[in-house]
Amino acid sequence: MQDQGFMKSTIGKDFLYGGLVFLTICAFLGFLSNPATRDVIINNYYDIGMFFGIVGLGLFFIGIGARTPGVIAGGAIGSFIVLTAPQDALVRYLSLSALLFGIGMYGMIKSRNAVRVLMSIELMLNAVNINLIAFSRFVDPVQVKGQLFAIFILTVAAAEAAVGLAIVLAVYRNMSTVDMNKFNLLKW
Amino acid sequence: MIPNAPEIGKLLFIICFWICAIFLPVWLVSWAVGVLLPMLLEQGSPSMAMTATAETLRALTPIISVMVFIPINAMFMVLYERRALALFTVRLGPNRVGPDGLLQTAADAVKLLFKEDITPRGADAFMFTLAPIIFFAPSIFGALPLLAAITNNHSLYQITNLPTGIFYILAAASLPVVALVMAGWSSNNKYSLVGGLRAAAQAISYEIPLVLSLVTVCLMAGSLDVVKIAQQQDGGILNWNIAGGGALRGLDKAIQTKLGVETTPLITPQQSSDPTETPVAAPTTFEEVIHQYYPFEFLSYISAGVLIFCSFILLGLYLTGACAEINRIPFDLPEAESELVSGYNTEYSGIKFAIFFLAEFTNLFIVSSIATVMFLGGGDNPIPQWLLNKMPLEPIQKSLGAILSPFINGLHLIDPDTFWAAFWVIFKVYTFVFIAILIRGTLPRFRIDQLMDFGWKRLVPLSLIAFLVVVFARVLVVCHG
Amino acid sequence: MDQYMILKDYVSSADAETALFYVIAILAISLSVGVISDRNIIRSGFILIGVFGAISGLFLMLQAQFLALAQVMIYAVGITLVVVIALMLTNPRSEREAVITEGDEFSQETGAVQFIQRLQQGTPAFVAVFSFFTIYLAIRSESWTPVTEKVSTDNVKVLGEALTTVYSLPFEFASVLLLAALIGAIMLAKAEKRQPAIESAED
Repeated sequence: MQDQGFMKSTIGKDFLYGGLVFLTICAFLGFLSNPATRDVIINNYYDIGMFFGIVGLGLFFIGIGARTPGVIAGGAIGSFIVLTAPQDALVRYLSLSALLFGIGMYGMIKSRNAVRVLMSIELMLNAVNINLIAFSRFVDPVQVKGQLFAIFILTVAAAEAAVGLAIVLAVYRNMSTVDMNKFNLLKW
Repeated sequence: MIPNAPEIGKLLFIICFWICAIFLPVWLVSWAVGVLLPMLLEQGSPSMAMTATAETLRALTPIISVMVFIPINAMFMVLYERRALALFTVRLGPNRVGPDGLLQTAADAVKLLFKEDITPRGADAFMFTLAPIIFFAPSIFGALPLLAAITNNHSLYQITNLPTGIFYILAAASLPVVALVMAGWSSNNKYSLVGGLRAAAQAISYEIPLVLSLVTVCLMAGSLDVVKIAQQQDGGILNWNIAGGGALRGLDKAIQTKLGVETTPLITPQQSSDPTETPVAAPTTFEEVIHQYYPFEFLSYISAGVLIFCSFILLGLYLTGACAEINRIPFDLPEAESELVSGYNTEYSGIKFAIFFLAEFTNLFIVSSIATVMFLGGGDNPIPQWLLNKMPLEPIQKSLGAILSPFINGLHLIDPDTFWAAFWVIFKVYTFVFIAILIRGTLPRFRIDQLMDFGWKRLVPLSLIAFLVVVFARVLVVCHG
Repeated sequence: MDQYMILKDYVSSADAETALFYVIAILAISLSVGVISDRNIIRSGFILIGVFGAISGLFLMLQAQFLALAQVMIYAVGITLVVVIALMLTNPRSEREAVITEGDEFSQETGAVQFIQRLQQGTPAFVAVFSFFTIYLAIRSESWTPVTEKVSTDNVKVLGEALTTVYSLPFEFASVLLLAALIGAIMLAKAEKRQPAIESAED
């Protein structure tokens, strides 16, 4: 009963997200259909088009019943290569960091186990570290400030993991579960 | 006189035989790969491919010699441990295979390799196979920077040297705990799981005093580079880090000045700190040298004493922490036979068990060689330079050089510096291993809560206090670094 | 020294570096997908160590030796701790049940409702793709001017000097933060002694 009510309340949100996806794709297709902007897009933004192509292909495969992890991994690797192959080394590192950040974010929102949420957050923090160290290598190689900030991020990550695990332990002691969907005591 | 003198004699014979059996193959293989083959390839006018192959072979020499070294060394250490334990408990030990049981472990190794390799039902097969590999890999790659230090920076082993050497070693040493938890969990066995959890708790607790003690030594030496740390300690036992991290170096130099021994020029702190000033003339008398190295007279003497005391404490902390890291008695709770069957390796058999076994003994060797390089001067001989010069070694050296010169100059079979460094390193390392065996034969096992209490309430504060004391005490004395 | 120089030249040549980068990147991406999608939480913990190993390989390629080693050292132990806690908190049987129910969640419904449910399930994916794409566009539209000079080999020294001089205040704050986190974690995780019955039941 409770589950159905939960679903009903989110139908509006679903339409919103679906509409957002639709609008994004429509805007892209609209730019493509205009002959004045098409050349500009094909010359400068062909990688982005291929990226969306890969995303669409992934959605299609998931729709016909492929295993989600495999599709995500293949799509991520493929789009990463497509997007970064013609770029500089710095952009490659930054894109990898963005991609890992996106994967971490996906895991953080998607997973129901609190421990896995913590792991995803660690992954996101590490993606940020790649970013900082790439900047310190390519932009500021003498005074390696990026590495300094990465050290501070390591510290914060350690503190976060410790407190987070302690909170998970405390919650487990009260609720006997680490399922995120069941932590709903503050809901009315 | 000594009732078991013949037994001790047999043990010494086994040690000598096996050390030759370990180091002759390692030496010959590394010579063949690093010197002979490249020399043959580069004869005449070599092509590009030939040169590249030769360079690759030279670059691969350290890892190949390590690969040759690890299995033979483990075979020796098992026999060494069993015979020494037998000596302590007045038993005979293995004595049937080969003369006096010399080949017992070789036979054991063959038997172990031919055993059936079992994966238990319900186990996570991939993780179950991966765990021994992860446990073993750090023992190959982890100690590579030490190779440069213990071969006296030989040109073939220079490639393994890193500017952050000791940090690399520590990072590699923290990896095996992952493998232990992995093995414990994937075995689908409660004893294994408890063993893995104990291993994790123990390694995390005892890594702190271990790392802090080594960090303090790095602070004394002013460097993270193991080769630098080893070279700083050259020139006899008074320069070793165990003697206060160079707190007695001034005494050493003063005695040299008094005896008029010619040595390398003294590095005066005035010169190094400010090059624009006119350099102060090198001190010539005993008192001047003493004053230069201990500038605050009485306070400096006291702080030198404190430093020496602290360095002994640090060695003790390091050995305790290392003992716990590699799960040896009295810290072998993860594989306590009487409580957990065999802990994390209960379900392992055949070659996987052999890999665990190999890695454990290799870790013991690595831990001892870290202690050797960080505290006991690496490949340095313990006799101070001024004493060495008094000894009548000149004729012996000359005659030895005459005999060995074809090997040294023609074939490059022997590098005298590396040879003596390796000799002393082997001596010191197997002394540490002997101490570990002695402790194993003497102490009972800890209980898990005692273990945690001892780690967190005794060792961690002690290592922090030692760190602070060293920071303040070494300001008053001219030390290494 | 010769072989060292030759090897160094080879390793630092652009093609080899690019190839190595792609190998490590693909490893990191596929392992991190493994972390978020493996059914077994403990397995995904072990895979996470592989991700961090790959990332520390990237740090080595970016000539941040110290951070690469710190990464290995901190995370090998830290993630082991996470895994151990996960081991204590998860029940293998209930995990299996959860997996089954997750698969059957939208099988009873039909038509539009099922489509909407699928969209709802796809929300995290949309958010992740959208955030990645936004960051990528930001990166791409900027024109960076990379400096060609190399990181000095003793950048540990530079780091140490910066941490004790210019950045000493943030450093102290970080240590205070760690201390606070330590105390807070102990306070949170400490078992309450008032109800010994519950405690013993859980043990």
